Amino acid sequence: MPELATPPRAVPVLAIEGLSYAYPNADEPTKRASTAHTADDAGRVLRDVSLQLAPGEFALLAGRSACGKTTLLRAACGLVPHFHGGEIDGSVSVAGRDAIAAGPGELAGAVGYVAQDPETQVVSTTVAAEIGLPLEMRGDPPASRARAIEEVALALAIPHLLERTVDALSGGELQRVALAAALVTRPQLVLLDEPTSQLDPVAGDELIWLLRRLNEEWGVTVLLAEHRLERCLAAADRVVAMDAGIISFDGEPRDFLAWAQEVDNALETPSARLFSLAGIEPLPTGVRNARQILSSTDALGGREGDTPLSQLFPKTASAVRPSGSGKSTSRSGGVPLPPGGSSAVNARNLWVELGDGDRRRDVLKGIELGVAQGERVALMGRNGAGKSTLLRALAGLVEPVRGRAEAPGGIALLSQNPSDYLVRERVGDELPGAAGAAALRAVGLEHAVDADPRDLSGGERQRLALAIALAGRIEGEELPGLVALDEPTRGMDRALKGELVELVGGLAAAGAGVVVATHDVEFAAAFAARVVLLGEGVAIADGAANEVLSGGWYFATEVARILDAPGVVTPEQGVAYLAERGRIA
Amino acid sequence: MRSPFAYTPRPRPLQSASPGAAVAYLGAFVAVAFLYSSPLVLAAVGAGAALAGLLAGASRAVRVALRMGGVLALLIVVVNVLVVNRGETVLLRLGELPVLGRVDVTGEALAAGAVIGLRAAVAMVAFAVYSACVDPDRVLRALRPLAGRSALTAALISRLVPVAAADAARLRDAGRLRGPAAAPLGRAVMARRLLTGSLDRAVDVAATLELRGYALEPPRRRLIARLSPRQWGQSCDRRPRYDRRFYAIGAVVIVAAVVGKLLGADGFAAYPTVEVGFGGATLALSALVVLAGLAPWRRRA
Repeated sequence: MPELATPPRAVPVLAIEGLSYAYPNADEPTKRASTAHTADDAGRVLRDVSLQLAPGEFALLAGRSACGKTTLLRAACGLVPHFHGGEIDGSVSVAGRDAIAAGPGELAGAVGYVAQDPETQVVSTTVAAEIGLPLEMRGDPPASRARAIEEVALALAIPHLLERTVDALSGGELQRVALAAALVTRPQLVLLDEPTSQLDPVAGDELIWLLRRLNEEWGVTVLLAEHRLERCLAAADRVVAMDAGIISFDGEPRDFLAWAQEVDNALETPSARLFSLAGIEPLPTGVRNARQILSSTDALGGREGDTPLSQLFPKTASAVRPSGSGKSTSRSGGVPLPPGGSSAVNARNLWVELGDGDRRRDVLKGIELGVAQGERVALMGRNGAGKSTLLRALAGLVEPVRGRAEAPGGIALLSQNPSDYLVRERVGDELPGAAGAAALRAVGLEHAVDADPRDLSGGERQRLALAIALAGRIEGEELPGLVALDEPTRGMDRALKGELVELVGGLAAAGAGVVVATHDVEFAAAFAARVVLLGEGVAIADGAANEVLSGGWYFATEVARILDAPGVVTPEQGVAYLAERGRIA
Repeated sequence: MRSPFAYTPRPRPLQSASPGAAVAYLGAFVAVAFLYSSPLVLAAVGAGAALAGLLAGASRAVRVALRMGGVLALLIVVVNVLVVNRGETVLLRLGELPVLGRVDVTGEALAAGAVIGLRAAVAMVAFAVYSACVDPDRVLRALRPLAGRSALTAALISRLVPVAAADAARLRDAGRLRGPAAAPLGRAVMARRLLTGSLDRAVDVAATLELRGYALEPPRRRLIARLSPRQWGQSCDRRPRYDRRFYAIGAVVIVAAVVGKLLGADGFAAYPTVEVGFGGATLALSALVVLAGLAPWRRRA
């Protein structure tokens, strides 16, 4: 019998060798004024990076904010240096082509790139035109274009959107359309920069598993940059971690977890933290894996005779509420109303309509919401459930068609994009005088008074915007009755989220009611005492955070999904739960 | 809120037509409006364009254009009567006014201003129908092989206008949410912030266009090089179903307008006294132009 020839080693889809890069003017003094840039003295945001991705790999790019993930993705699709300029050393090869010489247009057939903000990734009027644009640009005939559009739309479950205009789409739909436009040329490599940052847990999970399916069925190589690692670690074959422009780890997900445990706790997933605190080995890569490990170690067994969790974990919501508030809880629109004296906000039968003409629709349908001063509330729900509209209605930015909202002590609202508050070129000019200085001190930014707001990190910009919203009423009697934040954790790593929890916790401790609209269940578990879950403009659940976040599947923390025990949502609670059951020492 | 002039895809003949056919058809209305001063013909052009818009489902765009056109026409009439002293029928003597000098309001200047205003208003209706019914992407792509840079600029602008409008709305909201001790958001500051924000947005949109291959050589030349002559012919022959109708009606209107002009159908003179002709040619041309507005009509199954 003739011997089978040894198959040739696969050519890497992405091969980066000794890559260093600095953006133009990166060494200007103003750029070094803040903590936003992790560039070295020469302004390099990538330093001697080498990375290879084999065909069909699904790699996760992890790292703290501003560590160089986005720049690496831009280099892999040719935008760096072709579009952004700057100085580059080393080599980047995509599907055998020199990306530094070719540029993004010529690489368009081999690599697809999906950036973080879907709004700026659409350039056509209709969805079909947007998806077909790359094919048209390379001159594919109409019949071939039509088939490719149809197939990618089916793969991403968006054929019903094809004839719609892009301005009528939600953030999640736009993200899928951008992904479809990146995939329609059947690229060998697809690069995604935090694609789930604007998606609710349902849509975020769907997108990750959709990518995995495309990776398995189409053989597409995926390089995915994400902060919410718990969401995608189980789907990844490999993790590449970056720190200050260098690759600090490159290996399998399980090894990454062990590395993160030793080197950078901010990159640990909740399940890994649960296991490391409990001393259980090996560390799990996801919910399914964690349950398998726990079953094999019998840590989940023997439910009879357990101490009731209500005794283990008292409802923190009632602890935070002013004593003697005696709130009455009702569901499905009947939301607890605090007694008159301590109310931060009180919304009764709130109906809001948005849109115009034929598209006018009820976004809020008879919402009842009471928040007490000092209370910490997370507002959750799917994209389009009405969270932002509720906050805007409370702040008086939209007029309800029926019902009313009262905020006796006033309201400070930080909307989704903190950059909207930053309109001047010097932090001190945004917040003049003693009251401005007090606001900066309150958010820990007094050192940045001469910095340009655009040079601040994402977390610092968030804090500065909050200081602007609170300026003149940040201390004592003047503190607003309610401080509301709309989706404040976009693009933040776990460490920055921790800082935000501290900051808003401080405001609550000072007597303000704090409401945060968020998709981030782990952040909600860390911050909130109470969770209100909206669905299609109606409050569908309202209760203590550890009850609501352990009572479902999508709007539940990773620990809650692993242990499936009412009231257990954080790794620390999980360890206590396991210890109480005698499953761990 | 979405602009009433924003393109909305609908399964109607005008929206299905190729950009060339739609432009030829709606352009015929605009051409007649600029070729003629007869109020009857101009009114017919307005009626034809409005009818086309209604049949194409762009009733909101037509309504808003009529309202805006009416205001514009009124403004033109006022300006014309103030700056033009010609005409024999003096309706009002305003005496000496600063800058303008001696002002007599004449019936002739009023009529002339009304005709200019009517022309502007009907052109506005035709452009509104174009904007609401013709896919800008298809227009830009049709232009791209001919003028790549211009098409890129137009693509950027067409995308940035709604994005900038959304940014402005958000900035206004954020301005209302600033604390009492924060520096106030003046108009100049907001305009500057909007401008710098738009530049950032433009960079993002341009990056997306780069990634989609917009900087590549325009497709037509590459397609011609790649396809055999037979294939090329096949791909070009597939015209949208309603194209012939729009091309034909546009051509008929233009030819009739030129012939009518030669036959004296444009019977209007404002000075020294107003004269309006209602001859057979004028009436026939007006009827034809109104009927041309029925072109987007689709027989229901």
